[in-house]
Amino acid sequence: MTAARDVLRDRLALETLAELRPGEFVAEVPLSGLPETADRAMAAGLRLASLFGSDEGPGGGFAVHHLWAATGPPGFVRVWAPVARDAPRFPSIAAKYPVANWFEREIMDYFGLVPEGHPNRSRVALHDDWPENVWPLRKDFDDRQVVPRVGGQSRPYRPVIGEGVFHVPVGPVHAGIIEPGHFRFGVAGEPILYLQVRLFYAHEGTEKRFERLPWRHGLFLAESISGDTSVGHALAFAHAIERLVGVEPPPRARHLRVVLLELERVYNHVADIAGIATDVAFTVPAARAQILREGLVTMQERLFGSRLLRGTIALGGVKCDLTLGRRREILLDLEGLQREFDDLVTLLIDSGNFTDRVDGTGILPNQVARDFGVVGLAGRASGLDLDLRRDQPHDAYSGLHFVVPLEEGGDVRARFMMRAREVELSLVILRHVLEDMPEGRVRSALPDALPPSSSALGWAEGWRGECLHWVQTDGEGRLRRVKVTDPSFKNWQGLAHAVPGNILPDFPVINKSFNLSYSGNDL
Amino acid sequence: MFRILSKSLKTGVVTKADPFESRPPLGFPVIDFARCTACEECAHACPTGAIALAAPAADRRQLSLSYAACIQCRECVAACPEQVVASGRDVEVAAYTREQLTQTASFDLDGMGRARFTHMEAQAGPGLEESAARLRERIRGLLGRSLHVREVDAGSCNGCELEITATTNPVFDLERFGIHFVASPRHADLLLVTGPVTRNMEIALRRTYEAAPEPRVVVAVGACGCSGGIFGEGTYASIGGVDRVVPVDVYVPGCPPRPQAILNGLLVAMGVREARLNPKAPAASPEPAVTPSPARPRARGVDEG
Repeated sequence: MTAARDVLRDRLALETLAELRPGEFVAEVPLSGLPETADRAMAAGLRLASLFGSDEGPGGGFAVHHLWAATGPPGFVRVWAPVARDAPRFPSIAAKYPVANWFEREIMDYFGLVPEGHPNRSRVALHDDWPENVWPLRKDFDDRQVVPRVGGQSRPYRPVIGEGVFHVPVGPVHAGIIEPGHFRFGVAGEPILYLQVRLFYAHEGTEKRFERLPWRHGLFLAESISGDTSVGHALAFAHAIERLVGVEPPPRARHLRVVLLELERVYNHVADIAGIATDVAFTVPAARAQILREGLVTMQERLFGSRLLRGTIALGGVKCDLTLGRRREILLDLEGLQREFDDLVTLLIDSGNFTDRVDGTGILPNQVARDFGVVGLAGRASGLDLDLRRDQPHDAYSGLHFVVPLEEGGDVRARFMMRAREVELSLVILRHVLEDMPEGRVRSALPDALPPSSSALGWAEGWRGECLHWVQTDGEGRLRRVKVTDPSFKNWQGLAHAVPGNILPDFPVINKSFNLSYSGNDL
Repeated sequence: MFRILSKSLKTGVVTKADPFESRPPLGFPVIDFARCTACEECAHACPTGAIALAAPAADRRQLSLSYAACIQCRECVAACPEQVVASGRDVEVAAYTREQLTQTASFDLDGMGRARFTHMEAQAGPGLEESAARLRERIRGLLGRSLHVREVDAGSCNGCELEITATTNPVFDLERFGIHFVASPRHADLLLVTGPVTRNMEIALRRTYEAAPEPRVVVAVGACGCSGGIFGEGTYASIGGVDRVVPVDVYVPGCPPRPQAILNGLLVAMGVREARLNPKAPAASPEPAVTPSPARPRARGVDEG
């Protein structure tokens, strides 16, 4: 373990780098050292997984944290720098590394810390009607208050000038059954010149809410970060708490967690394939995929009491168990699913009407995906070979050997194919884990209180990509800060760059092929 | 083309003739108040404040359970030392007011500080039948058997959206009930709204409501749409339940409600079905794999009395 630390310490030139826990490294640097360390990290092939602020509360200052992910040796490295209360600013790295763009502006919006040198210091998270100098994630901001609206428009949309070019505004209330967000297209007839995405309509105050709830109840909030990723986010939160208190879930629970996470992946991928087929008006396979998805969630309800797998993850393990009979039942169901699913995928890719719409549509080039830190299936569809299940295995993934599917095209077809191949992989993993389930308990006991003034990182590879939860406690062991990083937050910027050059009627299917969470992004 | 046709013929009809026939294994909690000791363990365990204990006088206690805020996490079932909290099996709950979703029991404290159940408090506001009549009066004849619905996500986690989308799949196929999702509020008779309503969606929701022609019906979906749920009500970001912003005609609680419950809520809003509140006691059917807690035995059926 120390060998890994030594390698990372040398590469990043961080003398003080310490290994908090296996796979979790931390170092404090002065504020001015952040950009330099970022340069070294990027040069050494690390990627920026998250960037966030925190408020140490009365008497303390703020902090800015860069969270880096390393693959060889694997680990998360948190490089943080203190920020004085009377000098609320930090050096920006966004001009060099666009992945930091939204993250740094989010810190500016929520903590009032100015990212110096940021090429675009306008708001990203706060809407125009939010007053100046009110920062909701600061400790002295009481969450139980109504903040008055102010007039004016601080962020006008980028203009389009010329004959036959115009804006098309869409949302936040959309024509379909989807989440709220505003898309502003600059178009020349049908072709899209650019897309501006304004989100945070679904900002429910989730991160602030964590600080108010008892820590055990945080699990239920985590399940509601993005309704389609209940297991992914509940796992990331549970991992953070378990690492914080030093408790390992029993082996059987670690296997059951894999079952739950893979089931979540399968039902979402199948639903998305239905959505992609719907958006190219190919109704027969759309209906078939919907039937498959309904069969899966009905099975989940029968087995776990919840269609969307709510209330299955516990802190310290799981709240459910599967008898041998139940496991055989799932295996039988999955066998039927596999046959139907293969038919469905063949039906789609054999159809010229379908491939005509998805081939070369909404291309996210590999370099752009890399620059914006795109993760998960959208990243893998653009050739970014990242998967925490393999790179930083959690739960029972460490004992599994599998090849992560990868596509190079970066278009709608690639993201469609990723889903098809990932469902296949999930079925292999499920079969393996269900047939080889260790005996024993499904839950480890947790202490009554969290250790004071400490922090931990939890992660899980959800179906959309990596879910990261950084949990910090105050002097009394209460949650002082929970930073949630949903894969959508990084991928939205990627989406905005995959759209220009396409025609407006193709936007729905491009959007669906990413299927990003608004709620997980807006928090 | 031939393959598609033959596949469709082989598949046949997958639509459930009666979508309401299946019962979920675990639904809203049911408290047997007569055996309850008002110890408050369930209220402490509840992450959303759906269960709350109040002390209106020094020698009295009131325990209330609101399905509006319940996320069916079943922590209360696991927490109850007396095993008087059980999971009901009927989740097609709908109501016309938030109050109708709340049950409140009163207890007297004896000299030893032990609580004894005395009575259920009368529910505030109109009863189910009165509300149903009022709604019928308001929409009389105008909707007929056809309902055009505009869905509005006013800040939800997207769990409710997944289940609303599921109502349109071939298994539930809500269009056979004359219910149709439309792309604009101007075409809509009814707004199906999920929440919590965020500060950033408040204006958009209000405008969408104003854009819908009269008589417009509003159905609030989900624990968050009914009460703010786990996100709370009256925070800087979450205004809370839909009724904090626009008038609500029907509440469909649950986290998220099943497609059957959403369909039921829409049919209640049309006046086709009657709203129901009281989930039945757990039936003697196979236990699901979920165990509320590894340490304690499951609560048994408690609603026979």
